[in-house]
Amino acid sequence: MPEQADASATAVVYVVVVVVAVLIGTVLAPVVWSATQGDGGDGDPSVSVITLRGGTDPGNVNRITDDLRAARTNDSVEAVVLRIDSPGGAVASSEEFYLAVNQTASRMPVVAYVEGTAASGGYYGIAPADSIFVKPSSTVGSIGVVVQAPLSTVEEAGRTSRTFLRTGPDKATVSKDSIRNQMETLHNAFLDTVLTHRGDELSLTRSEVALGRAYLGPTAVRNGFADETGDLDAAIEEAASLADGIDGDGYDVAFREPVTPAETSVTLSDADVARVEGNVVYVDATDEGDQFREPVRYYAVWGIPVADGESASGSGTAGNATATPGGDD
Amino acid sequence: MALRDFLKPLGVFVAVVLVVVAGTALAGLAFGSSGGDGAPDGEDIDGQAPAQYQPDNVAHEDDPENGTLAVDGGGEDKRVLVDTRHANQFDGADVDPLVEALVREGHTVDVGAGSEGSGFETGYTNATLQRYDALLVIAPTGSFSEREIDGLEAFAEGGGRIVVLGEPRQFSGGGSLSSGSSVRPSADALAAAFGLRIGSETLYNLDDDANDNNYESVYGTTTGGDALTAGVERVQFDTAGYLVRTGDSDAEMLVRAVDGTRTADRGVAGEYDVAARNGNFVLVADASLVERSELFDAHNERFVGNLLTFLVSGDKPDDVPPTATPDEDPGGF
Repeated sequence: MPEQADASATAVVYVVVVVVAVLIGTVLAPVVWSATQGDGGDGDPSVSVITLRGGTDPGNVNRITDDLRAARTNDSVEAVVLRIDSPGGAVASSEEFYLAVNQTASRMPVVAYVEGTAASGGYYGIAPADSIFVKPSSTVGSIGVVVQAPLSTVEEAGRTSRTFLRTGPDKATVSKDSIRNQMETLHNAFLDTVLTHRGDELSLTRSEVALGRAYLGPTAVRNGFADETGDLDAAIEEAASLADGIDGDGYDVAFREPVTPAETSVTLSDADVARVEGNVVYVDATDEGDQFREPVRYYAVWGIPVADGESASGSGTAGNATATPGGDD
Repeated sequence: MALRDFLKPLGVFVAVVLVVVAGTALAGLAFGSSGGDGAPDGEDIDGQAPAQYQPDNVAHEDDPENGTLAVDGGGEDKRVLVDTRHANQFDGADVDPLVEALVREGHTVDVGAGSEGSGFETGYTNATLQRYDALLVIAPTGSFSEREIDGLEAFAEGGGRIVVLGEPRQFSGGGSLSSGSSVRPSADALAAAFGLRIGSETLYNLDDDANDNNYESVYGTTTGGDALTAGVERVQFDTAGYLVRTGDSDAEMLVRAVDGTRTADRGVAGEYDVAARNGNFVLVADASLVERSELFDAHNERFVGNLLTFLVSGDKPDDVPPTATPDEDPGGF
């Protein structure tokens, strides 16, 4: 029966070939599928709702900037609603947040909805928004910078600088004047960013904004820190109405996964506050393990330094962020 | 096996792969969304450099710290006492430049008057004061007794010179604002004897042109034509308080915080005097004036120089203040 044997051998070969082909095809299929896909849904233009609940720390801001980049590069996204509850964070990452929102706002309407707090670094980020929606409990404002500097570092700068050899007198040392100078520089950038974007709306002078006061929603609508009272849907409707590519109600709403505090936190409370002098927060340098460490950290945060023992209680909506939201208004 | 035997399975293989891949592609195009045209990333890259971030806009320029601290000699060698008996809150290194400037002109400076009398005493007896021509009091937090104030009044009346660099009430120590304690500097009772009082709040000014490098580092301009303000246009106070003239006092105001300056707690704008003179007594509501980081800001070194010159320009007989009182004892606690 050579013919039969031949035929069954051929059948086996074909089965093997087909199975292998299907396997390879299956591997290639997702690649081909994704190559044919955009990022959007069914072709309707959409409003992307991007949510930040937490400090403007590097981790959170990185994820928000990714969300904003995704909105910018997705042809079907015609507008962004930035839903925010943030008391701010490090100045460096707050600037990143601002730049990402500013970039997005230059391409499409961005409307902010202040779910809880958008103060200090949180407000830095939403300053470029076309419109800011608040409710009575929304807290906005608190424009300013604080610095965390180890008391000993500043007070003993002269003394400690003699404990090792250096190439120049200002190497590896800090002074109160230099900290204040840098703080003023960062403050100028922050303050003028707010004035650049909100200057026409604000009824306050530059000096009044520089007070660093936080305002509740109703006051903010009156003094220009916010534009309108309304809920998230009101913000979405506003965003849709501002978008060129959206006609009437013919749009989808795409909710991005909210960004909530991860591992990062503002660390004003992780050391003992030794003294508060103006907006310089001196802390006890108890972690003597490191020979060298970052001498100062600048923060754009809304809050007050946490007293000993209070830090463990957390700070509610602010996630791990700094400082217990304490009213300065 | 013939070549054909290989080609047929190969053809089937290729066909199946093509069908699966092409089917996926078609399904993707048919049911997936549009987009994904593979546009180069560069099309989405659009750099930004916000105008308000430019150095010309944000860079902050501190006042240059220059000038020299000089005392106008006056010829006569005087003895100056720097107070250390009233829990004075200053760093010894901060008075070094002052001492240096005085001794260069031949004057003698004692930082503290050594021990005398009871170990419990906190002030200076008239006997001690007799040995000096001038007294410099920096940031006192311990109280002045009535007896001591009487002695100092007699000291000034008799030609002795007194300069007090006081501070308003401030928070200090503790872990935070809530647990920190407020320190009431104790120069008030002494100042009251000379018709002056230090106000209860510090000052601030948010206008960048009205402060050096912080809202609290306000500028003051001289208001009087006194020798103390000669050559001084602008003084920079790091943590200034303000002075109040009590009753019908003759005190003459010397330096006033610039327009728009407000008080820290109530935020009230007004005219706030920071330095005043009443006869041989001068009061400045900012002790940080002599700190190393502040001494050469603005015209501070000229103002401090004038204060030092004032200290060594008195004319006090050796028997002032009198020690005749039989029950003379050291000042109170």
